[in-house]
Amino acid sequence: MSKVLQIKDLHAKIGNKEILKGLSLDLEAGKVHAIMGPNGAGKSTLSKAIVGHYDVEVTEGDILYKGKSIKEMEPEERALEGIFLSFQNPVEIPGVNNAYFLRTALNAKRKHEGKEELNAAEFLRAMKQHLQELGMKSDMISRSLNEGFSGGEKKRNEILQMLILEPDVIILDEIDSGLDIDALRAVSEGINKMKNGKRTFLVITHYSRILDYIEPDYIHVLKEGRIIKTAGAELVAKLEEEGYDAIEEAQ
Amino acid sequence: MKPNRLKGKSTQELAALLHVKGRDQLLEKFVSLGLPDKKSEEYRYFDIEKLLDADYRTLDYIPKSLQEGKKIEIVDGVVTTAPKGLRIYYEQCDAMDMDHFDPLYYLGHILNPNVIKIEIDGDAELELVHRFTQSNALIAYRIVLLNQSNRHATLYERFEEDNIADTLVLYGYDMHIAQDSTLRVVKTQHMQKQRYAMVASHRINVSQRANALLKSFDLGGDLGLQMLKVNLESYAHVEAGHLLYLNHASRRGTVSKIIHQGEHSTSQQEAKNILDGNARGIFDALIKVEHSAKYTKAHQNSKAILLHEDAYMVSKPQLEIYIDELEASHGSTTGQLDEKQLFYLRSRGISYVEARKMLVIAFANTLIETVKDSRHQEQISALFEEAFYSAHKELS
Repeated sequence: MSKVLQIKDLHAKIGNKEILKGLSLDLEAGKVHAIMGPNGAGKSTLSKAIVGHYDVEVTEGDILYKGKSIKEMEPEERALEGIFLSFQNPVEIPGVNNAYFLRTALNAKRKHEGKEELNAAEFLRAMKQHLQELGMKSDMISRSLNEGFSGGEKKRNEILQMLILEPDVIILDEIDSGLDIDALRAVSEGINKMKNGKRTFLVITHYSRILDYIEPDYIHVLKEGRIIKTAGAELVAKLEEEGYDAIEEAQ
Repeated sequence: MKPNRLKGKSTQELAALLHVKGRDQLLEKFVSLGLPDKKSEEYRYFDIEKLLDADYRTLDYIPKSLQEGKKIEIVDGVVTTAPKGLRIYYEQCDAMDMDHFDPLYYLGHILNPNVIKIEIDGDAELELVHRFTQSNALIAYRIVLLNQSNRHATLYERFEEDNIADTLVLYGYDMHIAQDSTLRVVKTQHMQKQRYAMVASHRINVSQRANALLKSFDLGGDLGLQMLKVNLESYAHVEAGHLLYLNHASRRGTVSKIIHQGEHSTSQQEAKNILDGNARGIFDALIKVEHSAKYTKAHQNSKAILLHEDAYMVSKPQLEIYIDELEASHGSTTGQLDEKQLFYLRSRGISYVEARKMLVIAFANTLIETVKDSRHQEQISALFEEAFYSAHKELS
């Protein structure tokens, strides 16, 4: 089993509050891992710690990506190495054209990989198919980044970035929040298209709804800053039925 | 010549010192205002004393036979090139504003009594390049700009300099915008470190039902101040936009007085300031609505982003209103780049410097996009990027 991401005894705090208290987790390459847990368990802090968010201070432990520590890396270095976080609430950036942003991000990645950068025309050609697949109107990439986008449009735009950047590890933080059934289906189809047996997913969610569309290989239960149980997809039904307290009691 | 030596002198002493004859009213006005220093309201945040205390070479402004070219070129205060058919000539200026707030407006007229007069025909679009080639020099010249009624003209203005040092430029316009016309002036100035400093003192009269669109894009370092005095007659409109992107230990900005004199006159003033290093930006702007200016609309706003903890913005939007029948507003904000936005861009592999640039340009774009001509708009964006990258290179 090849481990693409290894989180070892991770302690992390936001401000003065310790949120992650010795969290350990291995992500197997090519698999879909789901993290479930009650509010305040540390799910979003975990995703932020992996991508190097400024809010989170790692105080102990390590995060290894493809065997190499990324703890000291800048957020952009982690992204260029292949880690992608789909945000729960993508920020709006008025004045930054979406197409310009997407092309800058794609060209940064291509440059990092030693590939030639795409000009505007080449980029737009490459975009066309992705937009169709995600049911996005072409004018969405000519607007300011996420400005005035509905919840569903923002999530689609996150998936669009994922499709063009082709990361190796994809963290989906509450990707299903605020989506209606049609948007959830379109977003899930986009995610499923990314599955290729090598790419790894970490799906962070409150509810099992998204897991009907993106079938997980592993379920990890996160509670009070630590992973308290890991099992197969069958654990979802048990959680739905008995709640997180029952899991703790089973430990 | 040390300008500070003019301090405290009488009209007669000044006339003798500067070899000026028959301009008593002008000299008296300059004496009554006095040479500015750090206590002067308009120069309080600008290092004027340092500039006026230096010893400069003075220049002779001998008219040259004009070369024909696509642009107007003024080299060290002398017109060298102009488009064919453009009416551009020298004359002694008698129609000055005797109520200007800036003493250097009068000093400019005293030091160089012959103004450059430009009469814009029809709906012309002109480019004017100011070029400075002399080090340690005091370069003083003024331009009288006239347009025609019912016409819509545009002037694009930019500045170039040779590898000079420690020069002071005093220049400015006396603009007379004719009735029912539009004059658009777009100034772009990328100043290099310690090449030259500038005080540009303008007087703009906007006649009845005329429009003045004044855009300035001030980039880079060093010392530069534009002093604007705008008079609005009835139904006249001014739209003034000022973009500052400063780095190093620069001190630059705008001090302005927009005076609503006529009924139904309107003004819209917007400043966007981006300050890096230990730069200081200045926006000291007064809108005055006189008794005669009923039904005025006056709005002004200044926004600043500080990119460095040592950067500093002086923002003083002010309204002075003598009537009740009007619509007016003013506001000012100063902040930093949004951390969430910066992180979002970086989380997609965009470098810290590039992400900052994207956010800074997004902030500036609302002003850059008001430049209608796409070629000039692209030039301003390119200069902006150049100034941004050079500042980051030096700061890193």
